[in-house]
Amino acid sequence: MRSEAAAEQHARSYPTLVIGLAALVLALFCISLAIGYAPLDLKQAIGDAVAGRPTLAALVLTELRLPRALIGALVGFSLGITGAAMQGLMRNPLAEPGIIGISGAAALGAVTTFYFGIAGTVSLALPLGGIAGAAAATFLLFVLAGGGVGTMTLILAGVAINSFAGALTSLALNLSPNPYAVSEIVFWLMGSFADRGMPYVLLVTPMMAIGWALLLAAGPALDGLTLGEDTAKSLGFDVGRLRLQLVGGAALSVGSAVAVTGAIGFVGLVVPHLLRPLVESRPGPLLLVSGLGGAALTLAADIMVRLIPVTPELKIGVVTAIIGAPFLFSLIYRLRAEA
Amino acid sequence: MCDSSHRRRPGQRTKPRKKAALPSRRALIGTAMIAVAALVGHAVNAETADRPNKPRRIVSLNLCTDDLVLRLADRANVASVSWLSRDRGISNVADLAMQVPINNGFAEQVIPLDPDLVFAGRYTARPAVALLKRAGFKVLEIDIARSLDEVRDQIRMVAGAVGEPERGERLIAEMDARLDELARKVPRRRLRVLVLNPNGFTSGAGSLVDSIIVAAGLKNAAADLGYTGFGQMPLEKVATSDVDVLILNGRHDGLPSLATELLHHPVLARLPPRTALFALPPRFWSCGGPAMVEAIERLSHIAAGLRATEPSE
Repeated sequence: MRSEAAAEQHARSYPTLVIGLAALVLALFCISLAIGYAPLDLKQAIGDAVAGRPTLAALVLTELRLPRALIGALVGFSLGITGAAMQGLMRNPLAEPGIIGISGAAALGAVTTFYFGIAGTVSLALPLGGIAGAAAATFLLFVLAGGGVGTMTLILAGVAINSFAGALTSLALNLSPNPYAVSEIVFWLMGSFADRGMPYVLLVTPMMAIGWALLLAAGPALDGLTLGEDTAKSLGFDVGRLRLQLVGGAALSVGSAVAVTGAIGFVGLVVPHLLRPLVESRPGPLLLVSGLGGAALTLAADIMVRLIPVTPELKIGVVTAIIGAPFLFSLIYRLRAEA
Repeated sequence: MCDSSHRRRPGQRTKPRKKAALPSRRALIGTAMIAVAALVGHAVNAETADRPNKPRRIVSLNLCTDDLVLRLADRANVASVSWLSRDRGISNVADLAMQVPINNGFAEQVIPLDPDLVFAGRYTARPAVALLKRAGFKVLEIDIARSLDEVRDQIRMVAGAVGEPERGERLIAEMDARLDELARKVPRRRLRVLVLNPNGFTSGAGSLVDSIIVAAGLKNAAADLGYTGFGQMPLEKVATSDVDVLILNGRHDGLPSLATELLHHPVLARLPPRTALFALPPRFWSCGGPAMVEAIERLSHIAAGLRATEPSE
């Protein structure tokens, strides 16, 4: 139980935390704009872009760097907030879109619409495919491991969904008539922000925003849920509706994120895990800060990807996995110790 | 599909299924083939009959060797070429390839054909090549041609191997005549050109595409930027390279992939007008062969068109 003083302190420190994280995201966003493969005078490029002068510098800034940084922030926010929401709903620290198969299934949905030309004719089909995949996986997850089952069942359900979705993604890529498709599985499994243009930003932002709104609105109910399902019900929260709202929100944010960048793992695991102590383990306030933290992490990882002199460029999922896997190990170790 | 692509020739029906004693069995089949050839004379033309040493069951496992084999050897002597050569987007001999059986680069498809000569690329179908060599088949591995001289050498080599050296010389003479024609039009200014391939790869110094660009009287911007061979170039660098001509080497057949999607990135469409954009399909430059002369012609045609619109100094 929290003391009154602690609660008061928390109420004061929460806005500071949000503003601090937002400032961090903004700083990383600017660094991301400044980093790239072509020497660019950022000041001049911004000046040209604002004045509408079609110089090469302005072109690189507005058509390559800006969409990349925007997608990095949007996708990171989606993954972070969804991780926090799933962990709150399942009351399980390992519930993360990548681990429990939501990202993998979203990739399958996106791959199906992209390689068979549906996304080419109706561009909205790409995020919708991802969202459908993510929704199907989340629904399946609840059927298999819904409502406070043990960590073991949840993880096993995730393993099953992940490997099934991965196999079907591989199958879809093999069946694609384009000879390049097969080699592109790495993108869908590991993710990348490289060369995704502005049209993609515009395509997914509305869907993601709806997803975030659904998840953020579930904050108070998630707080109530920490007291147990029955108490939450007695407090007036409709647990069935909450589940639906979170499944929808997760599917919209992760589904559209994965559809443009591929599956990027561990963001939804690491970020809520790091920030949970700062919000006194309350799942409601954790949502927003996890979104911001996720954006900061993916932006930082994407900056790192471009600074490491490897060609072709490293996939961003490689970096997040290197950071995230030790967290997973430590979490599993701690859960084992508790058991 | 299996049946249609591996129709056996009459002589092979006598082949025992045992795996052992391969060379002696092949010799036996060879004798049988000559005997059968006399009976099925309509399948073997008169020229072939004149040269009994000419390979009669040629198999090619690589798109580039397919191109040369189909152009140089008699169709009746080609037992199988790779499935890629029927793809009009990347192959220059798709029509010829429709007339012969195809393989997918698997040894299992090749061995039943009992080939007397197998062509393979130096880097493709490696497991099949290793297996075929171990089984005692004659395998000729052809390297990737990187210059016009290497293309001439390869044409001579393949023509000799299939027993048609005159055809090889004729093909080279035709190529050289067209190249001489182009060489007469010496450009005033060498335009800078960049070739962008799917996945953002570009061809730098020492590559086949580089020699095509140089032969067309243009300058390869990728080579100027320090790229050698085949290397990935970030779109940012492409956008700021400020070249005169940007060539997108992609197919436009509506088969989506991330690799080809890169060629449709909005930044390329918004490049300033001093950079001219052209699409040239991969079949011109995927292989060093007679088609590369066509690529050179197209490039110099593009350059001539651009120079005509330039204000004269």
